[in-house]
Amino acid sequence: MQATFTVNGTERQIDVPEDMPLLWVLRDELKLTGTKYGCGIAQCGACTVHLDGLAVRACQVAARELDGAEITTIEGLGTPAAPHPVQAAWIEHEVAQCGYCQSGQIMQAASFLDLNPAPTDEEIDAAMSGNLCRCGTYSRIRAAVHTAATKMGS
Amino acid sequence: MRYRAVNRSLTKAAALAGMLAAGAVLAKGAEVLIEPPAAGSVSVEEGRAAFDRMYDVVTHPRCANCHVGAENVPMWYGGAEGPAQPHGMNINAGESRIGAETLPCATCHRVNETLDNDPHAPPQAGLEWRLAPVEFEWFGKSPAEICAQLSDPDRNGGRDALGLAEHLVEDAGHRGFVLWGWQPGGGREPAPYSLQQHVNDVLAWGAAGQPCPDGTTGQDASQ
Amino acid sequence: MERLRRYSRRAFLVSSAAVAGGVAFGVYAVNSPPDNPLLADRGEGEAVFNPWVRIDGSGITLITPHIDLGQGAIHAQAVLIAEEMDLEIGQFATSFGQPSKAYWNTAMGAEGVPFMATDQSFAAESARAVLGGLTKLIGLQGTGGSTTMPDSFDKLRKAGATARETLKLAAAERTGIPREELKTQAGAVLLPDGSRIAYTDLAADAAMLDPVQDVPLRDPSAWRLIGKPMKRIDIVAKSTGTLAYGIDLEKPGMVHATVRTNPRQGGGLQGFDDSEARAVPGVRDVLEITGGIAVLADNTWAAFKGAGAVKYDWGPAPYPAEQANHWQALEASFTDDLLDSTWRDDGDVEAAMEGAEVVTAEYRSPYVAHAPLEPLNAIVLVEDDLVEIWAGHQLPRQLQILVGAITGHDPEQVIFHNQFTGGSFGHRLEFEFIKQTAEIANQVRGTPVKMTYTREEDFAHDFPRHIAIGRGRGFVADGKVQAMDLSVAAPSVLASQMQRAGIPVPGPDIQIAAGAWNNPYHLPNYRMRSYRAAELAPVSSWRSVGSVGAGFAFDSFLDELIHAAGADPMEERIRLMEHDVSRKVLEAVAEMSDWGSPLPPGKGRGVAFVESFAAPVAEVVEVSATERGIRIDKVWVACDVGTIVDPVNFENLVQGGVVFGLGHAINAQITYADGMAEQTNYHAHEGMRLYQCPEIFVRGLENGEQVRGIGEPPVPPAAPALANAIFAATGQRIREMPFDKHIDFI
Repeated sequence: MQATFTVNGTERQIDVPEDMPLLWVLRDELKLTGTKYGCGIAQCGACTVHLDGLAVRACQVAARELDGAEITTIEGLGTPAAPHPVQAAWIEHEVAQCGYCQSGQIMQAASFLDLNPAPTDEEIDAAMSGNLCRCGTYSRIRAAVHTAATKMGS
Repeated sequence: MRYRAVNRSLTKAAALAGMLAAGAVLAKGAEVLIEPPAAGSVSVEEGRAAFDRMYDVVTHPRCANCHVGAENVPMWYGGAEGPAQPHGMNINAGESRIGAETLPCATCHRVNETLDNDPHAPPQAGLEWRLAPVEFEWFGKSPAEICAQLSDPDRNGGRDALGLAEHLVEDAGHRGFVLWGWQPGGGREPAPYSLQQHVNDVLAWGAAGQPCPDGTTGQDASQ
Repeated sequence: MERLRRYSRRAFLVSSAAVAGGVAFGVYAVNSPPDNPLLADRGEGEAVFNPWVRIDGSGITLITPHIDLGQGAIHAQAVLIAEEMDLEIGQFATSFGQPSKAYWNTAMGAEGVPFMATDQSFAAESARAVLGGLTKLIGLQGTGGSTTMPDSFDKLRKAGATARETLKLAAAERTGIPREELKTQAGAVLLPDGSRIAYTDLAADAAMLDPVQDVPLRDPSAWRLIGKPMKRIDIVAKSTGTLAYGIDLEKPGMVHATVRTNPRQGGGLQGFDDSEARAVPGVRDVLEITGGIAVLADNTWAAFKGAGAVKYDWGPAPYPAEQANHWQALEASFTDDLLDSTWRDDGDVEAAMEGAEVVTAEYRSPYVAHAPLEPLNAIVLVEDDLVEIWAGHQLPRQLQILVGAITGHDPEQVIFHNQFTGGSFGHRLEFEFIKQTAEIANQVRGTPVKMTYTREEDFAHDFPRHIAIGRGRGFVADGKVQAMDLSVAAPSVLASQMQRAGIPVPGPDIQIAAGAWNNPYHLPNYRMRSYRAAELAPVSSWRSVGSVGAGFAFDSFLDELIHAAGADPMEERIRLMEHDVSRKVLEAVAEMSDWGSPLPPGKGRGVAFVESFAAPVAEVVEVSATERGIRIDKVWVACDVGTIVDPVNFENLVQGGVVFGLGHAINAQITYADGMAEQTNYHAHEGMRLYQCPEIFVRGLENGEQVRGIGEPPVPPAAPALANAIFAATGQRIREMPFDKHIDFI
């Protein structure tokens, strides 16, 4: 099937099987590898991107959903030169160890803070527990979400 | 809130609405029919037996796991799949019952009319994933409690048995959660019997006067 | 290659002889410097002072041969060189370099010696020196065993100092100013008049000089970088999705692939039907490989779909098919025949317990998967005279040998480009995934093959941590622990793992006893014996290896004895501790956690101490018993690594180690049914998630004389500290991981 949609503000066209997950559309077709494959069944959150402004697991979004959609990936959220406030907070707290889950963590946090600009610890626990970090950086993730909330609020 | 107000399957569902009186076409060569038994043709005993089967269905994990109470925590597993346990990942669907306050169900449970997906992946149906309204809490309830609930217009969406049957068929027409219960994909155990049998049982139970296991009728209980 | 093999055989023969004392061969080979691999492709005007520093007119590259698995190894290695070389962060690039004997791990042998880390006797130091020499002889370049800092700390500072002084010599020759009057700062030589000559400007001159040797290292008081908070050099890339891991690479003309081999590991493929797979859009070919098949496709997803569409006829498992039989094998292993070694025999436990009321308990530690978040993957290109590999791996030189054997190349023809990895926890000590990719690439020579495991394939072939049973007998009197007799039975993880690496390991397996025999307590009577069960499912080193299972048994049983004696868990541990550095760790964690302060009902604190990889670590866990289950509220950790190189990264690694230890203790295990791991993805093997993560307070002490790694040591005390806390809060003693078999957690 063919689909036309925007990724990080750029219009893209694809011609792929309709059940091909967005994850592999991004990684293998569009060569945007910041979105990571971890489990393929929405257990880890490493492939989290924004679809029309909301966080989704790209491994669960089929190509048939994409026509007309707006996708933002970690590459479009911010850049090393101009990081998004969530990325800046992640850098400030030096959250990453291996870093493999952090694209998904950051995309989840950015979407969550959009909906809830000043979350409590309990709300962070509710929104961020679908994102697995095998290195165990959770203490720093919590702190970085609070810092990002402050940055975005000011 | 920036949810898409209407998902694409709803338009398709509207086209199906005209067919509801006769039933819904669910897939090529398969449809569910609403054929209410004639008044007085179903005994109370037969009505109770129909309810017992309805109870098997609504308390099956495919149905009950999302018909949970005011804690808004969906369940995983149950029945033959092992002890039921709260949905992993600290999931709470909130008062919105769609996770708007926390993590939207749609983050993982996408709209997918094929219903099928991989083992242990988040189930997907033709409607936006959600918990049933809290009044429809079935998880862990006794037959008498559920019978009373299904008979109480305040807790069943103001429906009689025919209305309940139509509700089932309408949902199935959207390729929604009811249909998913019997076609859950991913190697999951489907709800018992069949959707047609379930619709027939609801209608038979209604024709018998909605009898409940404790000897009252559901209509009594609701009054 | 033959020469290397000969060395490895002799080397490991000696490793068992080393215990008896002395070794009479190989002195020359041990003392001569291995060749500098950077000389091979040195450019004109490029200075390579040693195997770690290369400079040309355009820039400075520091070689960091220890792979970065998330532990910050690149950053830490670079900082050690930059400290002495007077480079600022940002003034240099880093590279893993090519595998080389020059990068032999000076610290990896030390963990294998049967002397306690606290033992600095002549015999112990001699054994370490001998084993260190042996790892040099076989050129064992490896990342693991928390050895990156012990291996690198002096070596890389010396490399930086050598480079600095040689650059100063070049400047001295150019300017005529004596070297002693020159200084260095921020990548340049500073002349007395304040002018600067950049290192890159001096590279061509320096390349003509013999490097200045025997440069003294700076006093710690002069350090600019070491011990100071720094931004890890990979942190921006890892926060913006711009760091390429192995799984993100693409080579021109490459084909995607995945493999499916018998989930009954080693059971072989008896037959298969690939007709449906070949019909999957995007699938190009299905090939046979050892024990299974490979699907080649246009993209990863098509390869996954194709592998899922093949019908397989798998052979039976070459180990017990059901989990219960694995436990039975261990239960039956506490026999004289299977006694692997007696590691401690202080006092006389039998005499002490004769006629006394004996406390007994049994502890179990399950198979657990490494399951790093980046599924295993590799790109391999095979050509007639060359093999190129792009993948993350912890034992690059063994990998060259094993891949060369598949493709018919000499190890020197196997070019290995090591990669950043999305975790490992020991998973990337295994070779299967790269060997499989090499088998595919060898069948399609000239085409790069990018092989990616599905998560399910990764779980099925995780080579999990070994199972262990610990049995304790003990005796208390006068409010004190008087005797402890601990036996641990397990299959040998080293035998299983090293067999696949092609390295023989004679002698007892120290990892069966690690975490139990080596804790520097002085119990009046203490015996610790290990029993070696037959090999069961193939197993591999899992972050902290044997110290998790045996450490859980040791510290839990010590806690039970202390409670039986009616003593305070912290005070009695401190009283029994005979090693000053370790005692200070316990005292620190007692102070941090306000150990003696009262807690409301339903809350409890537990302490545990386990030394692993020569780093003493004490942890206090505080829990609440709620209606819905146990909530882990807070954890305090004190540990001593001698010198902390990067305090921010140090804290992060300790917190992560605690999360890793607690999370798996709570809910993770691999069990076998019909010969296959029952856990196929993270839904069934979760570890800790964010909502369960306690507040974790970390204090690093620097009383130890030697630098230690911190990747693994925080893991082992976590499980016993949690079990001890649950006992304090509820009275329920949990002796088996995962704990959620016995109690709920929220």
